[in-house]
Amino acid sequence: MGKACMENPLSLWHFYLRNKRKVLPVVGILALAILGVVVTDSLLASARETAYATFGSYQKLILVAPRATRDQDLANPLQDSLTRLHEVQLQVDALDGPGGISSYYNAVIALPAQVRAQLPAVQQLQVDAANARYYAARLRGDLVPLADLIVRVQRLQSEQKAFDELVRTLTQNPNDPRPLISYLQQHQTWLHSILPDAAQLGRLQAAVTNASSDAAGLQQSLQAMNRDTANLNAAGRSVADIPIPPSPSATIDQFKATLDRLTSSLGAIQAPQPGLDKLVADSERIPGTTFVKRDAYSNLDINLLAGNAQFDLYGLDQPGMTQLLSLYNDRVITGRLPRADANEIAISEEIARSRNVWVGGKVGNAIDELDRLPDTFTVVGIIRGPTRLGLIPLDYMTQHYLFERRYQGLVVVPQAGQEQAVHDQVQRLIGDSAFRMFDWPYIKGKIDSLIANLDTINHFLILLVTIVLALVVGLLNNLFFRQRMNEFGLLAAVGYSRWGLVLRVAWESLGVTVAAWLLGVGLGVAVLSWFNVSFMLPHGLLMNIFDWNVLALHTLPIPLMVFLFGMGTVAWQLLRLDPISIIERRD
Amino acid sequence: MLSATDLALDYRSGQSIAHAVDTVSLSVDHGSFVGLIGPSGSGKSSLMYLLSGLKRPTRGAVAFDGQNYRDISTAGLIRLRRQRFGFVFQQHFLINYLSTLENVMVGAVKRNHDVVAFAQELLRRVGLGDKMRERPYQLSIGERQRVAVARALIHRPAVVFADEPTASLDQGTGRDVINLLADYRKDGGGSVVVVTHDPAMLTGADRVLQMRDGRLGLV
Repeated sequence: MGKACMENPLSLWHFYLRNKRKVLPVVGILALAILGVVVTDSLLASARETAYATFGSYQKLILVAPRATRDQDLANPLQDSLTRLHEVQLQVDALDGPGGISSYYNAVIALPAQVRAQLPAVQQLQVDAANARYYAARLRGDLVPLADLIVRVQRLQSEQKAFDELVRTLTQNPNDPRPLISYLQQHQTWLHSILPDAAQLGRLQAAVTNASSDAAGLQQSLQAMNRDTANLNAAGRSVADIPIPPSPSATIDQFKATLDRLTSSLGAIQAPQPGLDKLVADSERIPGTTFVKRDAYSNLDINLLAGNAQFDLYGLDQPGMTQLLSLYNDRVITGRLPRADANEIAISEEIARSRNVWVGGKVGNAIDELDRLPDTFTVVGIIRGPTRLGLIPLDYMTQHYLFERRYQGLVVVPQAGQEQAVHDQVQRLIGDSAFRMFDWPYIKGKIDSLIANLDTINHFLILLVTIVLALVVGLLNNLFFRQRMNEFGLLAAVGYSRWGLVLRVAWESLGVTVAAWLLGVGLGVAVLSWFNVSFMLPHGLLMNIFDWNVLALHTLPIPLMVFLFGMGTVAWQLLRLDPISIIERRD
Repeated sequence: MLSATDLALDYRSGQSIAHAVDTVSLSVDHGSFVGLIGPSGSGKSSLMYLLSGLKRPTRGAVAFDGQNYRDISTAGLIRLRRQRFGFVFQQHFLINYLSTLENVMVGAVKRNHDVVAFAQELLRRVGLGDKMRERPYQLSIGERQRVAVARALIHRPAVVFADEPTASLDQGTGRDVINLLADYRKDGGGSVVVVTHDPAMLTGADRVLQMRDGRLGLV
């Protein structure tokens, strides 16, 4: 090269090697600017690609979900429920007020006290009755000897009958003494049996005395009982006069009716959107549909570099989960799919990395308040494949969570090539009902519109950097050119053509800008590679380091503009260069 | 070889016209050493520019080897300057980032090993054989001007135009530079046209022409 330079001192290498101090700063400035463009542009492209990948499941399915947002949808039923609840509250107040349960209760618990006030009369009656029973018992004891006396008397009465019979017999047959003799024999024995002795007579006398006394006591007791009965009658009248509290049943019935209305209103909130069942059934009949599944969808919050986003989770039954995996050629690489009755989740590995979880890890609103997935769900499976998925069990979601039951939707999977036809059919089925469709064109449009703002800012920055750099480097180029005016003046004078000089400067500038571009792009690739390994991949973010749109097309405006502006101004001066004016200059 | 006929160069400034060169005719034969002297503003440098094709005349004609400049395109004139003429100016106009030898090679038309060897030979002839790798800022003013002379001779021009080559040099150094040009003529290299305001520098010239008010006269 030294020999070549010697032979052609105006070679480009010669120029660059001998002007390193002037060339390298320009190369450095340009390279740094290009590095900046590569990095920002790649990160932007990464944000877009990651967003596409995150919502890539929509490329093969249509999600039909309730149209209204939660706020809009719940506003009326909640307001209605609040009204009903207020009515219930009023009814509760009524239950506590006059005619209500409380006053009824108070009246009822007052009754025993009022009844207890009548107890002394009863107690007195009890005492008097006891006395009566006492005297009666005693009197009964007194009557035992009297009973014996009565028996004897009764025997005497029968003796009288026998005597009368004897008389009648003797009258009829006065000559016959045998009846008399027989009577006398019997009568003598009998008299011995019935005639009391002295002791018996004493006891009989004492019994009569006692009976007299006890009869008097019994009489007194019976008189007292008569008084007590009168008292009890009075007490009974008092008890009868105790007011019976009015029945609260009417109030309770009103309360029940109000409560029923509240229950009905709340029931309307937790019911799925009207028409869901029919929509599912009708969708299944659409020609060109692979399968249709109810979907209790939810979301996880993930970082997409350009900001946080909600990653869609599909709440499907077990066959639906398997069908979805098969649809996307995804598979569970670790763990298993969620059980139907458990708060479990299976997610793609990129999402797992993004959330810094693996099998056994936890996600959900209790872990990250930005998650729509309620409570805590345990990661039981890691999915790998071209499409990022998140699967949760339909049954668990609809049985445990109000919102997930109310906002169920459905996924409709068209056959390949039938997407538009199925889309149109589903749209027709939805009509004006409270459902709406989410499919890939819609999702992609949303992503693009979000990124578009960043794109605009980025393009503006690139334009700004390009203009500033074009001005700065152009100025440096002109300053450098001024310093070399003698060189160009001499060369023009001794026979180098102006266009030849322009071409020479053009090559010099082109070399600088190309070198800066290559260096900037190379540095950009290096920085992006490092960033990809150290940050993007661990967070489940996508980055295409060799995105030629970014590396080539998006970075080219800077060197191109710098070259054209710097070169343009110098070329203009070179073409107007008057070598004589330089030769004659005396500086 | 080089001839000028009724050559004139006017500068228009508003309504007035300045005659920098006014009806000058001359010829420079092959191998001759022609000196042009005159006070400042006499038109000697302008005449040299016309002769070398750096400027187009207002009137008159210049011809080299019988070809009128008027019949030569601008590109042709540039080519003529590049291939057949050599130039030495009052300033050396060396390129700072090139070595002495490389600066000499700037004047070369063909670039090969032989030319490099000739450039080295020229530098030795001008006394700078030991400073071929030096940069211009490492040389004295006289040395720089000698390098400029070597640069003017590297392609063996038919005519060497030297415009005040000694103006910024001391007498001795100026003399050395003039001698280098004279030696080139003597060695059969070609003609030499030297413009100067110092007649002492033209003692070896075959012919010395006096310029005054744009007109030419013999000294």
